This record gives sequence, C-alpha cells and structure tokens, in this order.
Amino acid sequence: MTEEDKILHEVTNTEYKYGFVTDIESDTISKGLNEDVIRLISMKKNEPEWLLDWRLDAFKKFKEMTEPEWANVTYKKPDLQSISYYSAPKQKKTLESLDEVDPELLKTFDKLGISLEEQKRLSGVAVDIVVDSVSVATSFKEKLGELGIIFCSISEAIQEHPELVKKYIGSVVPKTDNFYSALNSAVFTDGSFCYIPKGTRCPMELSTYFRINQAGTGQFERTLLIADEGSYVSYLEGCTAPSRDENQLHAAVVELIALDKAEIKYSTVQNWYPGDKEGKGGVFNFVTKRGICHNHAKISWTQVETGSAVTWKYPSCILKGDYSIGEFFSVAVTNNHQQADTGTKMIHIGKNTKSTIISKGISAGKSDGNYRGLVKIMKGAENARNFSQCDSLLMGDTCGSHTFPYIEVKNKTARIEHEATTSKIGEDQLFYCNQRGIGTDEAIGLIVNGYCKDVLNQLPMEFAVEAQKLLSLSLEGSVG
Amino acid sequence: MLKIQDLKVEIEGKEIIKGLNLEIKKGEVHAIMGPNGAGKSTLSAVIAGRDEYEVTGGTIEFDGKDIMDLAPEERAHAGVFLSFQYPVEIPGVSVTNFIKTAINESRKAKGLEAMEAKDLLKLMREKQQLLEMDKAFMSRSINEGFSGGEKKRNEIFQMAMLDPKLAILDETDSGLDIDALRIVANGVNKLKSEDNAVMVITHYQRLLDHIVPDFVHVLFDGKIVKSGDKNLALELEDKGYDWIKQELK
Amino acid sequence: MNLKDKLINSFEQFTQNTNGSESEDVRTKRAEGMAIFAAQGFPTMKEEEWKYTPLNKSIKRDYHLKSHENTSLRSSDIDPFLCTGIDSYRLVFVNGVFNKSLSNIACQDTFFVTNLKDAYTGESEVFNQYFGKLADTQQSMVALNTAFAQEGAFVYVKAGAVVDKLVQIIYINNDKSEAQLSQVRNLFVVEDRAEVQILERHQSLTEAYAFTNVVTETSVGKEAHFKHFKVQNNLDETTLVDSTFVRQGAKSSTLVDTFAFGGDLTRNNLHFEFSGEHAEANMDAITLLKGDTIVDHHTFVDHAVPNCQSNQLYKGIYDEKSKGVFNGKVMVRKDAQKTNAFQQNNNLLLTDLAAIDTKPQLEIFADDVACSHGCTIGQLDDEALFYMQSRGIPIKEAKAFLMFAFAGDTLKNITIPELKEQLINLVAKKLNVNLELNELDL
Repeated sequence: MTEEDKILHEVTNTEYKYGFVTDIESDTISKGLNEDVIRLISMKKNEPEWLLDWRLDAFKKFKEMTEPEWANVTYKKPDLQSISYYSAPKQKKTLESLDEVDPELLKTFDKLGISLEEQKRLSGVAVDIVVDSVSVATSFKEKLGELGIIFCSISEAIQEHPELVKKYIGSVVPKTDNFYSALNSAVFTDGSFCYIPKGTRCPMELSTYFRINQAGTGQFERTLLIADEGSYVSYLEGCTAPSRDENQLHAAVVELIALDKAEIKYSTVQNWYPGDKEGKGGVFNFVTKRGICHNHAKISWTQVETGSAVTWKYPSCILKGDYSIGEFFSVAVTNNHQQADTGTKMIHIGKNTKSTIISKGISAGKSDGNYRGLVKIMKGAENARNFSQCDSLLMGDTCGSHTFPYIEVKNKTARIEHEATTSKIGEDQLFYCNQRGIGTDEAIGLIVNGYCKDVLNQLPMEFAVEAQKLLSLSLEGSVG
Repeated sequence: MLKIQDLKVEIEGKEIIKGLNLEIKKGEVHAIMGPNGAGKSTLSAVIAGRDEYEVTGGTIEFDGKDIMDLAPEERAHAGVFLSFQYPVEIPGVSVTNFIKTAINESRKAKGLEAMEAKDLLKLMREKQQLLEMDKAFMSRSINEGFSGGEKKRNEIFQMAMLDPKLAILDETDSGLDIDALRIVANGVNKLKSEDNAVMVITHYQRLLDHIVPDFVHVLFDGKIVKSGDKNLALELEDKGYDWIKQELK
Repeated sequence: MNLKDKLINSFEQFTQNTNGSESEDVRTKRAEGMAIFAAQGFPTMKEEEWKYTPLNKSIKRDYHLKSHENTSLRSSDIDPFLCTGIDSYRLVFVNGVFNKSLSNIACQDTFFVTNLKDAYTGESEVFNQYFGKLADTQQSMVALNTAFAQEGAFVYVKAGAVVDKLVQIIYINNDKSEAQLSQVRNLFVVEDRAEVQILERHQSLTEAYAFTNVVTETSVGKEAHFKHFKVQNNLDETTLVDSTFVRQGAKSSTLVDTFAFGGDLTRNNLHFEFSGEHAEANMDAITLLKGDTIVDHHTFVDHAVPNCQSNQLYKGIYDEKSKGVFNGKVMVRKDAQKTNAFQQNNNLLLTDLAAIDTKPQLEIFADDVACSHGCTIGQLDDEALFYMQSRGIPIKEAKAFLMFAFAGDTLKNITIPELKEQLINLVAKKLNVNLELNELDL
C-alpha cells in the first residue's frame, strides 16, 4: 500500500527515464545482413553445425518473404542492411561470480532499478540480463540447479543442453512463421532458456531484463521455456532502451511449451524507448510470442505495453491438449506518436479448452491503439469456452482506437462471449477527484490504474507496482 | 470563514446567480433552501471551483483569502469539502485507495509526510463505525454499484476522513430513507465543532430536523431573498415556495 | 469464356441498344462502372472483405445475361409471398424485368412508386441527382451493377409527404431453362419530413440457378422516417449479393430489417452514413439457415457528424452445414462527438457442421462517445430445455420455442400489425413453431 503511494507521489518526470546510454566497450560486428554474418554469429557463439544449418535455412526462406503490411500501423520500414546483428559488451570470457561483471554494466542496472545485488537479497527473483545481443549475467543459478531447474542464456543452453534446444526450438513458432520470426531464426544472438522438470514448482519468479544499449544495433533474442509435466513457473521480462533519434529494431521470438498439467505464467513489462514527443526515434517492437498447451496445461500471458514507437505483437496460445487453458491479459498504452497493434490468438484444438482475453487499451496524444485478436474453435474442440473483453479508453480527440476481433467457430458446442466498450475519462470523475484534493495528473493515474486493475492484478506484486508507475508516467500531461 | 460578495455566475451565457451575498463564520450551520432551478447546486459547484461555470462578478473569500483563481484541488487542500448530489463512479479504484490518495495529497500540499498505513487504517475504522459502514465496503470500487444511501454515506465518510473547515452538503438528503438519513445526519453532527462550519443545501425541511441550522437562507432566482433562523425553514415547509414568490411581488 | 469476360463483351452490345435512350451522365457512369469491374473482377477470398465468402462457385456457372419477361405468372402465384390483408403499392419483377400488369404503381403529386426505368423520363431530375451518388462505385459488384442496371424499384417521396400504404417490392425468379444473372437497382429518395415503409422480397420459384446482384441507394432527408424490410427467402439454387447504401439527414430515423432465410450464398453489404446531427439508424437482422448455405452480413456505419445514434442487432441460427459471417464495422470519426453506437451479434450453432465467423470491429477517433459491441456464440440453454421438458413439452417443440424466443427481439421495430404478423409467421414456419399453441407475445 505504501508502495502504491510512493508511485503516485513520485510522478514528476515526464521524460523517458531509461534513456541514458552506458559507456561500455562493445564487440560489435559491422553492419549488414548476409550468410557470412550468420556464419560469424554462429562461430562467435561456438554453435553446433545443426544450428548453423537451421539458421541458414531460415535465412534462405526469409529472403523469399516480404514484410507484412496488414497491421494498422505506418512506419518507415527498417533498413535491415544498416543494422549490426551482433553486439556484446566486452568482458572476460566466463564469469565466476557477479563481482566480475563490468562495473559500468552493474551501474546500468542500478539505474534501471534492478540492482542484481538487491534483487538477489530481497525479492528472491532469479534474473537473467540480456544487453544488446548477449546475456551478461544470470543469478540464482545454483539454487535453481538443486531442483533440476535450468535457467540460463540460450547460448549456454545450446552448449550445455543441446538435446532440449534441438527438440523444442522452432516447434511452436516455426522458423518461417512470419517475416520477423524468420529473421530472428537466422540471426538471433541470445535470450533466455528455461526448463522446469516434471512435477517441480519453481520457487521464485524467473526474470529477464532486456536492454538495447549500442547504437545501430537491433535486438533479436530468442526465449525458449519448457515446463515439463505437472510443473509451474512464473516468468517475467522487462525491456528498456536508450533514447536515440534512429529507430531501433527489436524482433524477438518467444516459445513456451507447457506439457501435460504444467502451468506457465509469462508477464511482460515492455518499456522500450517510445520516441520523442514529435515521434522521432523509438524502438520497433515486432515480436512473435506463442505457447502450446498439452493436456490440462495452462498458459497465461500478461503484458503491460507502454513503450516502443511501433508495437506489433500477439502473444498466442495453441490449446492442443484437452482441458487446456489459455489466458491473455493486456494493458497497452500509446501516447504522443506511438502506434500499437497488439492482441492475441487463441486456437482451440483440444476438447474442453478454455480461454480468457482481457484487453485494456489506452490512447492519448496523437497515437493509435489497435486490438487485433483471433479466437478460433476447431471442429474437434468440443465444449470450448471463450470470454473476451476489449475495452478502450481515449484521452483527447487526436488519438484513435481500433478493435479487430476475429471469431471463427466450427463446433456447435462452443460458447463464446465477446464484449467491447470505448470510454473516456469523464470531466465529472476528474472534478470529483480534484474536489477531494487530488490533482489532475494524480487523478488520471488513479483512474487509469483502476481501469486496468483486472490486468495489473495478474502481475506478480513487485512488478505490478512497477507497471502502475509506468502507466502514470507514460500518460502524464495528456489531459488538460 | 466563507465570505461571498455580489457573486454573479453564468453557464453557457445564461445567468444563474445574480448578485449573491453570504457570510459563514466558524462554528455555524447555514441552510440554503429554495425551489428547483434557483441556483443552489450552482452555488456549491462554484465554491468548489467547477470550471464550466463562468463567474462574471463578485468575490469568494475563504479564510480571508480570495479563492477564485484556485484549482478545485487547491480549494480542497484549503479545507473546502463538497458532498456531491450525484457522487461519481470510478471503476476499479477502491474506496481505500481513493481516500488514501486524497488524504496524502492534502498532506503533501501542507508540507506533511504521507500518513502511515497503520494510522490511516485506524482512522478509517473509526470513521467507518461512525457511519455504520461495513468493512467490506472499503475494498469496493468507489461509488460503483452503490445504492443511493451508500453513496451519500460514503460522501460523509470521506468528509470525516478529510476533516474539512467548510463542508457543503448538496442535497445530501435526496434518495435517503429515514434510517440512512439519521446515520448521515448523526455523522455530520458528530463532526461539527467550534472550528468548522457546515452549509446544507436542501429542498426540504427533513434533513434540518436532524442537522439544526443557525441560519436559513432562501435562494430564489439567483439571489438570497430572505434569511432567518431555523423557524424560517419550518415556515417554508408549511407555506411552500409560492409564499416567497408572492411576497416578492 | 469466363463470366467476367462474358460480361465485358456483352457491355458493348448493351450500350449500343441503350444509346439514345439514356442521358450522357448515365452513359458515363455505366462506362466507369464497367472499367472498374473490368479492372477488379469479381471479389475473391484473398480480399479481407470477402475473406470468409467464396463467390467462385457462383461465378463458374454459365448464365443467361439478358433479362426476359415471363408473363404466364398470375397474381395468385405471387400472393403467398406478399403481405396480404392490407392495401399496398406493388412492384413486381419477374426474372429481372418489371411486370406492370401484376404491379400497382403510384404516380401522385407527392410521391412515386414505380420502375426505375420510368424514372429516367418522369423524374429524371431526381434520378440524376441521386443515381450512383450514394453507392460506393469503387466496389466491383456495385460497379458491375451500375454498368448494366435498368430495372428496379424507384420510390420518391416529396418533402412532408407520407406514403399511405406499404410499398411491396418482389423479385421473382421462375426461369426454368437457364441460369439467370440479373442486375437489380433500387433508388429510394425520401425528402425532408417524409415517411415511407418498404418491403423488399427476393423469391425463387424454380430450380434453375439465379444470381441476383442488387444495389440500393437510399437518401433520407431531415426529420424523415424510413423503414426497409428485406426478406431473402430463396431456394438453394441462388446467389444474392445485396449492397445497400443509406444516407440520412438530421433528426431522421431509419430501420433496415433483414430476414436472411436461405439461398446458396447471400451477401449483404449495408452502409450507413449521416449528413446531419441527431439522426438514428437501426439495423436488425435475423438469419435462419439450413443445408449447405452461407449468409454473410457486412455492415459499415460511418459516424462523421456528432450526436447520432446507431443500433445493430444481428441474430443467427445455423443448422445442418450452414455457415454465417458477420462483419460489423463502426467508424466514429474525429468530429463525431457524443456518438452512441451499439452493436450486438448473437449466434446459435445447432450442428457440428455449422460454422460462424464474426468480426465486430470498432474504429474510434473521438473521445466523448459511447460505443459497445457484444458477440456471443452458443447453444440453446440446456436448463431451459429441461425445464420445459419437465413440464411435458417435447424436446423438439421446446427447442423451436427457445429459438423463436431468441429470434424474437429482431422483430420489435416492426410497427405495421399485418406485416409483423406475416414476418412472425415466416420466422415461426422456418423454425417449425406452431404459433396457435404457443401464443408468444412479441
């Protein structure tokens, strides 16, 4: 409670807080995209041959694909030849402990409010950190190891657990699924890997912080999360980037595999640099996230999207197993010139599958927010259930809100409910708050957080607090 | 405490208040009565600082200071409380969260530290009892799905929490059954002191049986046309507003 | 030769035949329409707007393009398909051609109910003012219609006039020999403060295939009131593509009530726009399908001025192998503050082979608006069924009863008692409900 207070009081700075650049010496390869670059990345990471072949195959297919244009966003397509596909902070080859991490880098994380030391001591959250292209630190490894849980960078997993990586990589998001997933498959440099063994409940939140630091780089991380039968894991990712005039590309792929009776809770607080007030700069966030649920498994996506100039993201669930459950809880805020086209796909294949979609869009400034979703009930999906609620909140009349919910039903036993509303923050609500001594910015924060409550409640406590703070910050000064 | 001189107010070019004078001192209870459309609710909204209304003349002083240029929240921080005739719903924001924000914003404006959570909870419990409110009520979204009686009790609960210098009760009796009316009036009476003042806006005598006014003013066609003690309210109830109209002719 | 080329080729002959009898303006519009159709062709499933609806089967047939009259029909043949028991103006079209002897036209000082062809000459000023002005001629099906359309209903109500009787328009197909493709064009002009109610029915009486492409342009003036009931009750061997465009003035009210009861493929495009404030548009529809059929409802309500209201209520019951599509788009533009837009789409699937694809879409650029859409897909309530069974109602009747209740509220905006009775009976018959036994209060 007191924490909540702090947030509402702390709201003073409208500038993007994470826009600093850290001066770390980097190993960055020259710009451009071709087979040699892919071979170089693979070589630098000392990868097995099958993976190089897999990358090259993805690249071959990628070259035949075109950038998708169906999303309701407009932007100048990034020049894929002017990006460096590999940038790593220079450091000693292997780290024995956290003490060996570049002190500049540690300072960066302090500024981001995620001091590894703090995290370690207080919250019991295991953290993997990815800067630009590579993972730089993973905490709590031993403790998790005792339970048989593998939590490391995907590069490490490729070396240490190739059988798991080989079995599951590309199994949920095929390398040629779409333009950006193909690109990612060809050039991904790092990301997180996680495996929870049978019947194990992961005792702490697993967390990855992604940070783009170096100019002229893109971030192409790949996350692979496997929850074996009857296991449980809660995973959180956070993202920030420095303020830069150029548009930086982030094209990630996340694959979740929930085997029988497993449960995965995947939360994202996305705060990539959104560009300045005139719409200059900012991150292009083109992400493919998808999970597959086997029998009685459950995948729950929660996202708070406040950053990026352009977001294009549809965390999805393939409900393959009987009695499997998919959930999607989303808050997407757009302000100034931001554009977001986000939503989910729930593909019901198994019997007695259930999905829930709660989407809260908030548009302010000159921004456009889109909800795009698909609920598909396949022929064999007896007794499928879906409930969707897509609400939009508009602040001012220079922004737009759009909903594109596709519902396709091929089984008579399905029960689908879809609701959507559009509203605004009422003058009377603001005056009521004002009369009780609450200033306009605070009142907006209060009202917006109330509006998003159903989604914020899904986040682990410490991240919910962070998310609330972000919401207030990204909307400050947007009314009145 | 409150001094209004020759106040003139327009909304969308239509004059609602046409030269109103009123002075309320510490420790006093004033009742403003009048027929529908006389300008009662406009008066309360203008004191609280609602900006749809255009003040075209006159002054409002609070504690000796002109408050005309203050924002609504600044007036609230100075000690003005308005109990709304139609309290506003804010989905997803709990009563607890709302009141905590309001209290701490006022404290911040006064240069005080935020109130400790345990002190706040203690205070809330105390005031809840005063208004015979259920604890579960505190975690509900503010005013959302509240009955008429619950909304008004919630208003007086907030008044108790914020401890204002001047409480303006705008038609607080409307929509209340007799039990709820008693609870609300009882709450207001307990909060009354030598140092604060209450302005009751009402159409009927009913509430004034419980909150006994020191002064009664009749507002008619944008002006206070008659003032007296509590007996004036009884007379009005008896004779109706036509009596005032007749007298004015 | 494919249908598209066949149409392009026949256009030359068509223009030669009509030259001289049509104004320069109309000829230009036809040429433009043909050019657009020639460039775009028939819509395909690759287009977002036609994603779920395959027209390819319908256009593969070999159609007879020239409309020909069949005079053997008698009044008694068509009476069962009309609302009887009340006086009405009638326009009867057989195989795409106006049949004057079966019709009851009106040519009065204050209003006209007649064939569109007559409007060329009689009310050419009105015709020229509105023809091709309301429809989106960039759509290929509209463009095709514009190129060839000659026959259809023309209803013109002058300012302040009220049409005293229901206007019934019926399109009959009874050509037994050949597959028939016809282009039907309706033009309804309802001036300020005028009122009219129209019933339009498409009915096939033969098993020869019929493809009807209808375009309706409706202009509703200030404070005018307009109701349009569409009964689409075709046999399985029909394709109906209906594109209806309504523009309404300030403080006017409109209703378009669609009864989609069958046909191989039915596509309804319903487009509403407002030219003045405080106007209200209502769209009701009930779809009852069986067999291997498809009905696709596309609605587009364009709120560009403030203070208007739109209500959409689309209900569907899908049996056997039928498929339903609902794509409802509501656009609230920047200046359209205080818009109220509601949209509801409820569906029942009765078999495992039936399917529904629905996409309720909101695009909102103004902040002070109340917009909502709701969509449900489900089955009949098991508990309600059991409750009725326990009171001795057989399951079959119980189901019919519940379906009838489900469909019922799409009939609420019908105010002419005789018409309401006829439409209720039609729905009841489709659902096998015996109304004498179940006295339903609607």
